[in-house]
Amino acid sequence: MSRENDGFVFRPNLLQRLLDALYRVINVFVRWDRLPTLIGAVNLGVFRDRLREHNLHHTGYGLEESGDWSTGKERWRSPDGSFNSLDHPRMGMAGSRLGRNFPLPECVPDSGDDLLDPSPRVISQELLARDTFIPATTLNLLAAAWIQFETHNWFSHGVPEPGNEFKIPLQPGDDWPERERVDGCMQIRRSLADTTPRETWLGATPTFRNSNSHWWDAGQICGSSQSRQAEIRSGTDGKITIGPDGMLPEDPAHPGVDLTGFNDNWWVGLSLLHNLFVREHNVLCDALKARYPAWGDEELFQRARLINAALIAKIHTIEWTPGILAHPALDFAMHANWSGVPYRVMRAVLGEDNEAAHGIPGSPTDQHSAPYAMTEEFTSVYRLHPLLPDEMNVRWLDTGEQVSRELVNMQGKSTRRFMEEHGFTNLLYSFGTNHPGAIRLHNYPNFLRQFEKDGQPLLDVAAIDIMRDRERGVPRYNRFRELVGKRRISTFKEITSIPGAADKMRKIYENVDRVDLLVGLLAEDLPEGFGFSDTAFRIFILMATRRLKSDRFFTDDYRPEIYTDFGLDWINNNGMKSVLLRHVPQLGPALEGVKNCFAPWNVL
Amino acid sequence: MAFIITIPGIIRLVAVRTPDEVLAVNDASMVERSLSGRGGLVNRSVAAKLAVFRTPDGDIWPAFRDRLDPLRAAHQETLEAALSDVGPLLRGIASEIVELGSYVRTGAAHCSTGVIVQQAVGRLFFTDYAASEESYDAAQTLQSWLSAGPLRTYWLKRSGALQAALDRIMDLSRGNMACAHATALAMHNIVGSIELMRRLARHGDNLAKIGPQDALAQTLRAPTSVVREARDERRVGPVRLRARSLVLLAVESARQKRADPGFAFFASAWNRCPAHSVVPALLADVWRAAKADREGRA
Repeated sequence: MSRENDGFVFRPNLLQRLLDALYRVINVFVRWDRLPTLIGAVNLGVFRDRLREHNLHHTGYGLEESGDWSTGKERWRSPDGSFNSLDHPRMGMAGSRLGRNFPLPECVPDSGDDLLDPSPRVISQELLARDTFIPATTLNLLAAAWIQFETHNWFSHGVPEPGNEFKIPLQPGDDWPERERVDGCMQIRRSLADTTPRETWLGATPTFRNSNSHWWDAGQICGSSQSRQAEIRSGTDGKITIGPDGMLPEDPAHPGVDLTGFNDNWWVGLSLLHNLFVREHNVLCDALKARYPAWGDEELFQRARLINAALIAKIHTIEWTPGILAHPALDFAMHANWSGVPYRVMRAVLGEDNEAAHGIPGSPTDQHSAPYAMTEEFTSVYRLHPLLPDEMNVRWLDTGEQVSRELVNMQGKSTRRFMEEHGFTNLLYSFGTNHPGAIRLHNYPNFLRQFEKDGQPLLDVAAIDIMRDRERGVPRYNRFRELVGKRRISTFKEITSIPGAADKMRKIYENVDRVDLLVGLLAEDLPEGFGFSDTAFRIFILMATRRLKSDRFFTDDYRPEIYTDFGLDWINNNGMKSVLLRHVPQLGPALEGVKNCFAPWNVL
Repeated sequence: MAFIITIPGIIRLVAVRTPDEVLAVNDASMVERSLSGRGGLVNRSVAAKLAVFRTPDGDIWPAFRDRLDPLRAAHQETLEAALSDVGPLLRGIASEIVELGSYVRTGAAHCSTGVIVQQAVGRLFFTDYAASEESYDAAQTLQSWLSAGPLRTYWLKRSGALQAALDRIMDLSRGNMACAHATALAMHNIVGSIELMRRLARHGDNLAKIGPQDALAQTLRAPTSVVREARDERRVGPVRLRARSLVLLAVESARQKRADPGFAFFASAWNRCPAHSVVPALLADVWRAAKADREGRA
């Protein structure tokens, strides 16, 4: 038993061991993404089992107690995520610590000057800054908004506070505004400190807490606390409050921003998706009330939340993911994750409880080798800011008119005004017909590199992204590769074939082991069809299924008694397209013939 | 000049022997105390050996905590403070010092030197610490665990001797990991020094001629080597550390090239031994006791 992992241990069965050995040999000769579809999909399963065995590490809960509990609540998701695991009620709860994907001694920040070496500001300028927009032509901008919509469900480190900032020396000629400099340096606030008592076995590994529930529970819409939930609920028929215009109301604490479960870093993309899925929640409440008229506000809210959360998880699993990682083996694997393999014989042979055969929903809950938690490494590989363009074309669905608008003017306190000015329908259409940026070097949105945010000093988000990985002890790129089971590289040219990038990286880093994780991920040559790097994908393989497999409501309790038969049917029969068309039927022509709603829509 | 050996899949090792290189590598930020076991079979085997030095609840012995570990710094500060008031501490182990002095002079003691040293060291932490032949055997088992070949390693683990030794040391140390480390591992350097003192005293009238500080300088011993791992590739001065190299700091060999007695304790480094004052004082007192015993008998 691993003492640090709260008693959880993963023991591969004989078949898994045999496959592991077999694929170790196969992968010497052929990479997984070059194998035939089915064999490649099994290869992904083998990677996942290895990662389940070696890449889940508990950091303690950081919380002494779970939330309130009373019998009967086990049927629903608690507001803060507690009691999802009835044996380990603090698991995944809001306020508990983010876990790790690597052994804890590997997750120790550099000491002294090494922490700031090389300068994150230089990296921001030389390697990340966007020269010209590089579009991801297989995707639409909704895909960019979607992943932020999801990450806001899964984690937040909280808002950094002033004090003991990192001071980044600036090069001569740097255009960082003089008024923002302190002692000639750019300042970066540190991540919010975890002030809970540290377990002695944590060693030098820093810990951070997740202010959101870790579960895939639609917390971005419903909130991660009882008090937030009370703020967003109408108190009638389980519905979430919407204004007379059918849109989310304004957050009194944050003018210009919608009142919803989690509204940090708000912009139009998030507003669109929140409004869409709040509408979906309220429609579900109506449908449930029609079938179960005796149910009160609480029962309706909780059941609708369960169904809505599962629908969002399904869309993410079988639509967004194959959209951004368009590889046949992955497409097959993600569908198998949700609904199992399409082969009757294989389903029969592998058995009813087998997640690969029948899909994870409804299979037994399993935490594998550590209590469920989002991980620091997971947050690192989801730094996907290059998806954001600096400007987009706003298109009017009825007239076909279009104007270019800067993204900086459709975020923060400008969001609601922009939404009102251009309209929900037109903006959804615009997002569906604009491309996001490719997740590559030299494609970081420039507006984020001098970004004004309420209550914060001027931000270079690119430099902050670099510092966040470093201060949180996320290994740099080369060691990260090794720890997810890939070969270490020894030259810059092995990372990338982007013209000139290897030389630039060599000049800045000198040593290939010093390359920052984000830089390596953005530079890495991609497998065919992939929107982001294979190294990031390894964490994804593990965590994407873990979000489902660890969650009681997607596994043991994914059943009619909890969801209702109607709810399970709703999840089975719906997807992003039907959600869009239900709430915005005017989008029909734009979506005509579109197979994946995260791919570009028809421009009318 | 560092010694480097790499046999893919078997070993990746850098041994550093000169004082400056030892200090520089010890201070390098990517050189860590915790071992991943990557780099080859030998690296894995060494990592597995050190991994046993944890308490049952997963706590880490202080000497294996990494530089940035906040508990390491706290433990070090507390222990250093506790061991800095040397006079009262040595008065508390006066009888052991007298007995060791007698051993240095005559070569005879009522029990083995190791037991006396272990008790003396243990009583720096707990005034009623009582060592025995069994507890010293446990300390020797743990010491031999670190240097044993594959067969002995297997046997120590398989027979339960390793776990029994750990349990005995932890019981005697009442869960105090600094005490456990001192009475299981660090004490062997003092035993080595006492044996050297005995050898020194046997020759001619050294006991009469040599003062305590000179005797100390001649007999103080550092750990033969300490082990680290280079996480990532880095050049430290002239030494190129490849990623996942096992780094062997040959402390005793380097110490012999450096007059500074503090070198044996990394006294000016982040990982300075908290006993850097009390151990030299103890050894000097043992020599004094041996001299006094001789003069008393004369």
